[in-house]
Amino acid sequence: MKELYRVEGVVNRGFVGQITYTVCLEEPLKKLDIHFAFDASLRKFRPEDITADLIEETKETCREKYGLDIDDNRARDIILGDMKTEIHTLATLNDAFIGCIHRQLSDRHMLYDGDTATEGCIPQKEIDGVLKVTVLAFNVIKDGTRYILTVEGE
Amino acid sequence: MFKRYELHNHTTQSDANITCRELVDHMLADRVDCFAITDHNTTSGQPIIRRILEEEKLPIRCAYGMEYTTYYGHIVCPVLEQYVPWDSIDRRRPELLFRACKEAGAVTGVAHPFSYGDPFARGCRFEMEITDFSDVDYIEIVNNPEPLHEVNEPGILWWESLVLEGVRVSACAGMDLHGLDSMGMKFATYAEGTEDGDPVEELKAALAVQRTWVSKGMLVLWAGSEDGIRFTLFDAKKPGFVPSDRYVLTLKSKKWTKEYDITSGSVTVPYDEIRFEDAVPKLYGGDPILENLICVAPVIRTKA
Repeated sequence: MKELYRVEGVVNRGFVGQITYTVCLEEPLKKLDIHFAFDASLRKFRPEDITADLIEETKETCREKYGLDIDDNRARDIILGDMKTEIHTLATLNDAFIGCIHRQLSDRHMLYDGDTATEGCIPQKEIDGVLKVTVLAFNVIKDGTRYILTVEGE
Repeated sequence: MFKRYELHNHTTQSDANITCRELVDHMLADRVDCFAITDHNTTSGQPIIRRILEEEKLPIRCAYGMEYTTYYGHIVCPVLEQYVPWDSIDRRRPELLFRACKEAGAVTGVAHPFSYGDPFARGCRFEMEITDFSDVDYIEIVNNPEPLHEVNEPGILWWESLVLEGVRVSACAGMDLHGLDSMGMKFATYAEGTEDGDPVEELKAALAVQRTWVSKGMLVLWAGSEDGIRFTLFDAKKPGFVPSDRYVLTLKSKKWTKEYDITSGSVTVPYDEIRFEDAVPKLYGGDPILENLICVAPVIRTKA
């Protein structure tokens, strides 16, 4: 397939929200591949990332939001086991929803043709017009989280 | 007759490990009347299930929906046949999305409002500020996989406080299925219907008047009589339900909570005992503690 669009970006710790990229397809396509990936090594915390500040912040969040009084070891478990960067992708074609991949992945393809599509996506008989790809950032745990979005077509 | 609804289910179209086919078979095997497909932020499973049910003429109804999985909480729509964008989600004005969904013919519910969110799983706790419940059909007061006391109890209490303040919002339950979990002794949603009625339309009608039951399999029904309000037990024949040796009915109003033994199958509560207070009836299998909860019935609007 031919690359139609490529963009790279960086999101920092704490960003919650979405970024939408609009691609005007220059000709009708039979196949479409939207590929999104971010650095898998930044998806989770490693033991060496844990600082006293991060432990305190986690304890404070648990106390404030849930009334949970946790010790340092439990905070460590939450940081290593639960906290993660979570970014999903959603696509529309001519403002009609054509799919969203909501799975814990750092690398994903949204593949379309007339009869089939990746799970989460809806097959498209006519791939033509204006494609919008939205990057949905639910959670970013590390500064400098780089991502690459490419759109390929045939 | 009463129909059983399973209103919160996922497939491999989002983050579950069961396919649409397996979801259909799982619901058929448990003799569900109507189930919803509510994948996270996608409607892609709807045509797959629609094709399975139509081609095989299976004796089960699907409600085609989606779970809006936002940064600030989940809105489960067991009926959402027309996708409504959510990119303008505003935690201080969630009514805008609820209203847009309702205008598109959706059924809207607040999913697992007290689940743990950040730092465990951002977005799982409902952190949006609803000030107008006009377009909120229901609150998922029991999300079966969630812890009873930490998550579901505050959900039940929130719904009770709202309806006892006069807010018109129903209560429902969800399995939040992501696998082939057993549904025995789990809470489901029930609504009245007829043999030939369309379960989806009957659900909408029930939600419109807040007449839904959340139950493990035994329902508590009530009706006015000359002597007072007569409560009766109704066995919904839910697979896996284990009957209790003793049943206790509680009525909770803003001012009091009263208990009645209903092991015999019925009890009549004189009107002067209720003192024209709105009240939520709940059924327990034994002492009235949360672990024994069997059914939450629609609020009794005696004031009205």
